[in-house]
Formats: sequence, structure tokens, C-alpha cells
Amino acid sequence: MQRKIIHILFLVGGLLGGGIMAVNVHADAPPSAADAEKAAKEAAKAEAIKAPPADGAMLANTCAGCHGTNGVSAGPGMPSIAGMPSDYLQNIMAEFKSDKRPSTIMGRLARGYTVEETKRISDYLANTKWVNVESHPNSVLATKVNVEKAMRGEKLVDENKCAKCHENNGVTQDDETPRMAGQWLDYLLIKMQDYKNKHLVIPQPHKMQKAIANLTVQELEDIAHFYASIKR
Amino acid sequence: MKFTRRDFVKLTGGMAALGVVSMPVTPAYAAIAKKRVVVIGGGYGGAVAAKYIRLADPSIQVTLIEQNKEYHSGPLSNWVIAGFRNLEVQRWGYEGLQRHGVEVVIDQATSIDPVAKKVGTATGKKFDYDRLIVSPGVGFRDMEGYDAEAQARIPHAWDAGPQTTQLAKQLQELKNGDPFILVVPPDPYRCPPGPYERASLVAHYLKNNKPKSKVILLDAKDKFSKMGLFTDGWKTLYGYETDKSLIEWIPAAQGGKVSRVDAKTMTVYTDMAEFTSSCINIIPENKANVIAEKAGLTDEKGWCPVHFETMESKIHKGVHVIGDSAAATGLPKSGYAANSTAKVCAAAIVNLLNGKPVGIPSYVNTCYSMISPEYGISVAGIYKLHAGKIIEVSGGVSAGKAPDFIRQQEAQYNESWYQNIMSDTFG
Repeated sequence: MQRKIIHILFLVGGLLGGGIMAVNVHADAPPSAADAEKAAKEAAKAEAIKAPPADGAMLANTCAGCHGTNGVSAGPGMPSIAGMPSDYLQNIMAEFKSDKRPSTIMGRLARGYTVEETKRISDYLANTKWVNVESHPNSVLATKVNVEKAMRGEKLVDENKCAKCHENNGVTQDDETPRMAGQWLDYLLIKMQDYKNKHLVIPQPHKMQKAIANLTVQELEDIAHFYASIKR
Repeated sequence: MKFTRRDFVKLTGGMAALGVVSMPVTPAYAAIAKKRVVVIGGGYGGAVAAKYIRLADPSIQVTLIEQNKEYHSGPLSNWVIAGFRNLEVQRWGYEGLQRHGVEVVIDQATSIDPVAKKVGTATGKKFDYDRLIVSPGVGFRDMEGYDAEAQARIPHAWDAGPQTTQLAKQLQELKNGDPFILVVPPDPYRCPPGPYERASLVAHYLKNNKPKSKVILLDAKDKFSKMGLFTDGWKTLYGYETDKSLIEWIPAAQGGKVSRVDAKTMTVYTDMAEFTSSCINIIPENKANVIAEKAGLTDEKGWCPVHFETMESKIHKGVHVIGDSAAATGLPKSGYAANSTAKVCAAAIVNLLNGKPVGIPSYVNTCYSMISPEYGISVAGIYKLHAGKIIEVSGGVSAGKAPDFIRQQEAQYNESWYQNIMSDTFG
């Protein structure tokens, strides 16, 4: 289904492009006011996106309305992104931008930034401090970690060799792997369910895709409880 | 990069060294005398500006003047009207800002003297400032018959708070079969998709509680924000455009523009017809709030023209206007845009007060609407300043055709959006 969405987006893009081309091709027939307005808008947009970039703080602070002040999320459904490696954040943004990674909203946002702007945002956030959810004043909003589930999750993490990439119980992070320890449980659950969702094609290493395909939604929940419970 | 106090001392030290030959000797404390910023209005714009100035430069003294002890968020207040959210979780206090060192004064700002650089309040206090930020939200234009007395009976609920509760109560008391009449203003106004979210969620309530009733939207416009997504959702959930529809939208072209109201008979009048119900909600035409008007910050259209790099008024120097009251920014009048203009303004003021050049601005809007508690949609935009205009370089609305789980996820993100933007504002 997600492919279908992307397909529709391309189609719409194609139609818009076609409209602009038509204006250029039929130079003798005067373009309609609406076409001219649309073409002018597109031209202004193409110019504006090339305008010089703002500094990292200015750019990254605009993310805070959804991801929290300095990247520390206060909302259970949105990930904290504070202190994540700059290269990781840049990779993810590039995937959102190209729709290689499906999203509800991030693609629309990522396409508004140049490579340089994305780098500045990522560098800024990489220098902010991670806060575990349980230390956050809004932690009352999160689905509570269930110890039994977390213990089952620990076993599943072990059996499925998650630690091969998500080392140190999900604390270690690098340019391909985000921190999961102490992340919002509800967010981890949303993402785990996305990975199970046949409608979504998510760029993941082959071995992870395979491991997830063999796990039930219940088991993925257990894994989410495990990673959310890590307090380091 | 953050500007710390240490940097400030370093910088002023450096400047003193440069000027040492010709400058008269001034006492060291004069160079680091505290700069004062006063902020009028503690909502989605003002509170953020106050906090972010303090985060960037704690040497600046920031005073926030706000007339209410507590703030009620407009975003998500439509959920309260539809009966599936408590007003209590819309309420925020100013303790968080005080922890950032903002001086919070609960009082009403009544006058601005841009020459003497003073703000006066209802209790007779005076506040000096080096830079003033005005973020008072919107005011309402007159509609024939919609006076204070009429408002007591017919709420606008376009400022969240007691009117939100009042409208929720009126909806609960509505007789099954009577319409919920919603009068929608012309552009520009605060929260462009708001009236349509309200119509959606009221329809959701009616579907479960009063299926013989419907929402009648009397609109001063012929199109609206997220229109395709709303009407698709209404078709899916509320039988839109069938004879059983729970929502009827009457655009201006079909006589939807309301010209007057009679609160005694609970009737609103358009050019073509009249509508009567025990439950009427009028959102009057918007303009900049009265304090901006009184201070002479508004233009002939009733909004405040500003320079977009700094949000400084084009009329009065040293006075910045952010949020809904600012004119023709190219941004929608949304909470997120207020947050964004607040940060542009805060960064500019910190630079100006430290004698540094103003940086390049960046603006974002992200706004969710609910068509039912399980069905969310969004609009988002990234904006850059180019050739004196704020231009949307990317963005748009949710995909037109999407599976249910996408709508459910956006509904879930809406609540998290709220928690984050509120903690960014008041935390």
C-alpha cells in the first residue's frame, strides 16, 4: 500500500511537472492566470531552497515542537533524538527525503532541507544530551514497562541475536544504529509494528527483516518493553 | 551555536580592547549591564520567545506579562468540545518559565510607549525594555448582534478555556434532531483547519449520541485548509454528501456567509436564509489583538507588519510582533508557526542585544487535525526567507489515499505533538 502511495505521489508530481511544461511549450497561447501563478510559485520555491542555510541551532530548534526541546521528546509516540550520531540522523533524513523510508510526515519535512542544512541539524542534535524516558517529567504518560514482558523480551533479544547490531542492550549507537535503551516505549511499539506491517517496505538489513518476520506482534512488544527498561 | 554568558564576557572584553585607544574609560559593570526584554502574552508565541532568549543568553533579563494565571491550549480543545478530553489536560502554568529565570507578571498590558520604551499595565505598573515582544494572539471583529451579552449565550470558543466547557455543555444538552450551527470566518484567521476539525469531532459525537442532528457549517469562504482530506474523511465516517450526512457545509457561493445574529431568538442570518438552534458557535472574523491595535502596531488590514528576519515591527522600532498578530507572513496562523516565529525572534534579539549580526531565519509549521479520535491528518511545511518573502520550500498535506493504520498513526502523533510543543513552550 505504501508503494501505492508513493506511486500516487509520483503521479501527482508528474502532473504538476506536466502543467509547468505545458506553459513553456505553448508559448504563443497565453497561459491561464492559475498556471502562471503556479509556475511563479514553483520558480520562487526553487530559488528559495538555494538560499543560504541558517545555523544549526536555528534549524534544529524548529524540530523541538515535535521532538522536544533539544531533541528530548516529551511525547510517547515521538522518538527522542538527542545525542544521536550525526551520521545516523543524516542517513535517516536522506531516506525520508527520497521516500526510501516510508513516513507519515517526515518525508514532507526532510525535502525542505538541503544536504548542508540536514548536516547542520544533525551536528547540533548530536551534541545534545540524551535523557532516558523514566527521567523525563512526562514519563507518567508512557506505557509502563512490564517486568515480565521485559524479561521475555530479553530472552527474545538473546535468541534473535539483536545484540549483533544493537550492542550493549541498545545503549551503543553508531551511524547505522540508533540508541533504543530508554527510548519511549510507545514509539518503539509503533515502529516494531511498522516492521511487521506488510504494507510498508522499510529499509532494514536483511537479517533484521528476517528475524522480525518470524516474530509475533506480542513478541515484538516484549522486545520493546525490554529496550525501554534499560536505564543506562 | 549557543551564546553563553562566558562568550558574552569574552566578546565585550574583546570589544573594549579594540576601542581602548579612543574610548573613554567606563566602569567594567557598564559593559555588562543587564539587557531587558519584555514579552506581552504567554501563549504559543510569547512563552517560547521568553524561554529561548533565556536558553541562549541567561544574562538577559526577561519579563513576561500575561493576564491569566494559567493558559489553556487551543490546539486539541476541539476534543474537549466533543467530550473525549478533559479541559484540565489543556491547562498549563508558568512555573516552567520561572525555572528558566523568566520573571512572570500576572497583569494586563494596557499601553506601549515605543519612544520611552515602556509598557504599562492595568494595575498601574511600568516596565522598561530594550526590546519588546508582542504576542497577544488574535482579536475579533464586530458582527451585527454579536455583543458581549450575545457572547455569553453563543460562545466562540476560539480562545480555549471557560467557553470551551460552555460549548461542550451546550452540545451535550442539544436536542436530538436540532442542528449544531458553526459559523466560520473569512481568511485570515487563527488555526485554518480548526473549524473543520471542530465540525468533524462534533459529528463524531452526534453519530454516537444524537444521530438525528447534524453540523451545519456556514462558511464565509468557498474552500478551506486540508479540504480534500476533510471531505474524504467526512464521506468515510459521516455520510457526507448523502441525505443522511452528519455534516452540511454551505460555502459563501451558496449563501454561507453570516451577516448578523440575534441571540434572543438564537438565529443567525445569511443573505439568503436564517438558521435557528439552541446550539450556535460563532467564530468571528479575526484581527490582531486589541493591545497591538492600541499600540499602533497594525496596518489598514488590522494585522501587524513585520520584518521577517527579526519579526521587528515595520511601524515601531524595538517592538517585535510574533504569532497570530503578525501580518502576511506566508505562514499559517498556527500554534507551530507561532512557536517558529518566536524562535526566529528570540535568536534575532539575542544577537541584536549582543551587538552581533542577525542570523538567517528558518521556519516550520506542523499541524494535525482529527476527523475522528482514530483518524488524524496533517499539514506540514518548511519555509525559507528569500527576497523579503517567507517561501514554503517543501511540505503539504497527508497522502490523499492512505490505509487506516496511517490515519491511526497520525491520530497518535497528534497527542505526542501536543505534549512536545507544550513542553517546549511551558517546560
